Amino acid sequence: MPMQYIRLIPLFLGLLLGTIHEGGARVFRIPADAPASALQEAIRRADDGDTLDVQGGYFQGPIEIDKSVTLIGRNRPVIDAREQGTVVAVYVPGVTIKGFVIRNSGDLLNEEHAGVSVDTSDVVIENNRILNVLFGVYLRKADRTVVRNNRIEGKKELPIPRRGDLIRAWYSNDLLIENNTLKYGRDVIVWFSKNTVLRGNQIEDARYGIHFMYSSDCEIVNNILTGNSVGAYLMYSRRLRVQHNTAAYNRGPSGFGIGLKDLDDIELIENLVVDNRVGVFIDNSPREYDSRMIYNGNVIAYNDIGMHMLTYVRNSSLRLNSFIENYEQVAVSGMGQWEATQWQTNFWSDYAGFDQNRDGVGDIPYRAEKLFESLIDQHKALRLFIYSPAIQAVNFAARAFPVVKPQPKLMDPTPRMEPYFPKGPRGIQLPTRWSMVFTAAGLLIFGWASFAGFYFLTGRRQGKVPDATMSPVSPSPKNERTQGVESMIQVNHLTKRFGRIVAVDDVSFTIKKSEAVALWGANGAGKTTVLRCLLGVLPFEGQIRINGFDVARQSKAARHIVGFVPQEISFHDNLTVSETLDFYARLRKTTSDSIKDWMERLELAFYQEKTVKELSGGMKQRLALAVALLSHPDILFLDEPTANLDMKSRENFLGLLEELRQEGKTIVFSSHRMEEVFSFANRVLVLDQGKLIVDAPPAEVYQHLGKATLLRLFVPSSQLEAATELLTANGFKVSRNGMGIKVQVEFHSKGKPIFLLANAGITVEDFEYEVELI
Amino acid sequence: MNIDFGNILLLTRKEILDARRNRWFILYTIIFAGLSLALSWLGLSGLREYGLSGFGRTTASMINLVLLIVPLMGLTLGAMSIAGERERGTLIYILAQPVSHLELLLGKFLGVGLSLLGALTIGFGLSGFMIAYYGGTTAVGSYLALILFTFLLALTSLGLGMLISSALRKADTAIGISLFAWLLLVFFGDLGIMGSTIIMNFSIEQVFMLALFNPLQVFKLSAILMLQGNLEILGPVGVYAMRQYGAQLLPILSAFLVSWILITFSLTFYAFKQRGAL
Repeated sequence: MPMQYIRLIPLFLGLLLGTIHEGGARVFRIPADAPASALQEAIRRADDGDTLDVQGGYFQGPIEIDKSVTLIGRNRPVIDAREQGTVVAVYVPGVTIKGFVIRNSGDLLNEEHAGVSVDTSDVVIENNRILNVLFGVYLRKADRTVVRNNRIEGKKELPIPRRGDLIRAWYSNDLLIENNTLKYGRDVIVWFSKNTVLRGNQIEDARYGIHFMYSSDCEIVNNILTGNSVGAYLMYSRRLRVQHNTAAYNRGPSGFGIGLKDLDDIELIENLVVDNRVGVFIDNSPREYDSRMIYNGNVIAYNDIGMHMLTYVRNSSLRLNSFIENYEQVAVSGMGQWEATQWQTNFWSDYAGFDQNRDGVGDIPYRAEKLFESLIDQHKALRLFIYSPAIQAVNFAARAFPVVKPQPKLMDPTPRMEPYFPKGPRGIQLPTRWSMVFTAAGLLIFGWASFAGFYFLTGRRQGKVPDATMSPVSPSPKNERTQGVESMIQVNHLTKRFGRIVAVDDVSFTIKKSEAVALWGANGAGKTTVLRCLLGVLPFEGQIRINGFDVARQSKAARHIVGFVPQEISFHDNLTVSETLDFYARLRKTTSDSIKDWMERLELAFYQEKTVKELSGGMKQRLALAVALLSHPDILFLDEPTANLDMKSRENFLGLLEELRQEGKTIVFSSHRMEEVFSFANRVLVLDQGKLIVDAPPAEVYQHLGKATLLRLFVPSSQLEAATELLTANGFKVSRNGMGIKVQVEFHSKGKPIFLLANAGITVEDFEYEVELI
Repeated sequence: MNIDFGNILLLTRKEILDARRNRWFILYTIIFAGLSLALSWLGLSGLREYGLSGFGRTTASMINLVLLIVPLMGLTLGAMSIAGERERGTLIYILAQPVSHLELLLGKFLGVGLSLLGALTIGFGLSGFMIAYYGGTTAVGSYLALILFTFLLALTSLGLGMLISSALRKADTAIGISLFAWLLLVFFGDLGIMGSTIIMNFSIEQVFMLALFNPLQVFKLSAILMLQGNLEILGPVGVYAMRQYGAQLLPILSAFLVSWILITFSLTFYAFKQRGAL
């Protein structure tokens, strides 16, 4: 005899000798180590009214119950169908199944595989865990059946359309479905079933949490419906009481918290409807002319649409509801009718009225009359613009200009000033989401890193002189190009236009290595523009070559061997001297030794921690020169380098330039100071209105100087008149200029007006002159 | 083209340093963080006694906030970036160094962009703590997706701001024009399409196509799609977009935003090169 049959012997003996209860019913104990087939065998041998007390263990399904027995599971005995058909099928009334784990049904929808299938009345299914099943509990004509305190979970891996219902009741009246926890299914659906009570259930991650079809006189109370496609969808039924339910976060394609379709005489009372796509959806309810819908004390909050009404909603009473921060409080679609619909003492979070008599009710009616809502009710396509700030503008415009204000969708003549929060609905406890905590912390770290971290990670702190470990000098193009190039700078037909203005007009010249060349000319002659073109920072016509590099195409390479000191020193004011030198040293790929050298040589070391804006003009000029010299360039471009310096600073600066020239640097500088040009330059390029008019050594340029020198004389204001008359009388062309007078003189007789005035006893306090060219 | 990434990194650092010292930037950071915190608190805390929170409402408010503030941040900071330096004379000085136009532009874009993203991230991070505290129901992935698309919108706005800036000499003018661009994107563009739809009776398809020209609408569509899984909230146009493009919709919308960034950056480079340092 096989071992498994031997093990059944004590069980059968137990059944035969089972304890006799009062009334004749017996209780049989099935041990935890009974074989997998023992439970079905025990049912087969039991009589109606017997109790099978299962002490634990594993039993193979499907199990068929055709006796009115009570199955009590202790220590969670398992009934497992191993993905084949229905796990437990009940065919006779009076069966109780309590305390089991019922799991792994088949998954064929056409065969309606279920955890527990009931085809009879008066069954109790209680305290079970019904797991990984297609349908959870399937009730067919199962009047007076109780489904209580079960945990029912569908097949999570299946897409929702392939899932079965967590509970399906079909033509089953007087059901009690209570305190179950249900998830991962399609619906809890009640079809053609009267007097059903759904109470205290928690349903999540389903299609319709609760779904009623053609079922009347039912109660739906204290349920929690979260994270479903639709919380509760009630259809084609009448006399339903829907009270103290919580419908939250139902955001599927329809996303109704509670949907009501073709219903009559419904009471929707004190429900929490929160953060759904549509809070309460009402379609053609009530259906019949003499029926009435009551919506009282509901909290409808944070939904995209608080209450959405389709056609022909009428004869309804809405009182004490709290509409809190729904994106659209009430939407109306189609040709909605509001016949005999009463809005009274509801709270509206967007109510802008007042309560002077402090009776808790606003003194002016609430009107839902937002222009945009009215527009999207008429033009559905405009719903696209929901969440756009333009909507606030539209609504503001309607408030500011009442002529465009729409007809109100509804009017509540007595709006509450404070929301009403009912005590009945069950809250839900949402734990702190640690994943979100970590995400938030990560975001803050990223935010910090963006500001500070990146800065530190990619370099040293600013404010210190770089050390010798700085990135090495990259090979400068000058090393490859300078050898054998006699002409350091070649300019051919350089032209620069700013719109219609020609700032530089067809200028050509060549500068040899170690030459010091002055660009000379009046203001606006084009000196600075030529220098900027040489640097390649402005687009230009013509051709410029620096050390063989074509500036139009290789300006960056050319700038490696050029140092530049602009006329207007424009460093970043908030950087310190050492930060500035560090920044430009890195751009020029030079070493920290170079920074130290130039700081010392240009006497900047003392100022290294000062910000640029704290420096004097002379110190800024030195800093600019230090920056220009950091990488020991072969060429220096200086744009009016002494323009903003006092005499002493100018002398020092020129002395320094002289040293650089003697070191063999090629220097191109612009100036309008004649003495600088003549004392420092080997060659002078004279520019006039963008044209190069003279290219010669200083001595030759002297010959070109014209007769028309402009002398500015500064005399005391009391002697201005006399000075003007005296000079005019002596044949000078004189004009007044504020505190001074301007006199046209010949270049070689600039002292004549001064002598004249001095002889006449008129004090000449100061003078300046400008030389014009032939 | 020979690009020196060392130069780009150095210029990026400089821009970040400048941003840390920029009063506007600090103000924007505080405003965004403050508003996002306030909106989260308002949306989440109201029904705390029931253990409920309005994360859907919060995300709607966040989308609204992003649409309003982020383009303003990106456009104005972008507008200040080049024209401001041009006006101060620092631009010509940097360009006089061995730095190419592209390196300078990339350094600026990355530096301002990274600072901008940092500012936004701080706001989102603080809101994230509040969502966690109130037990908001959103998935972390959806929240990160909202942030990602906000980044794309920020960089798009920054690109537009820099484009404006690259063509102008004065920072004030650039900021003025960028404010007009902001009005155009945030208000006038949408109002124009809305008005035209009512008057000219545009089809659903036409409304959708017109909306795609506005990067703000593209961001909004992407954010809602990521957060809610579909666009039904946006009515028939949303449903049309879902049915017409299905799973391709999100990649298409993302590609639009990335294209905005690339196109504006390319145009900025062209304008910057044409205009030069002055």
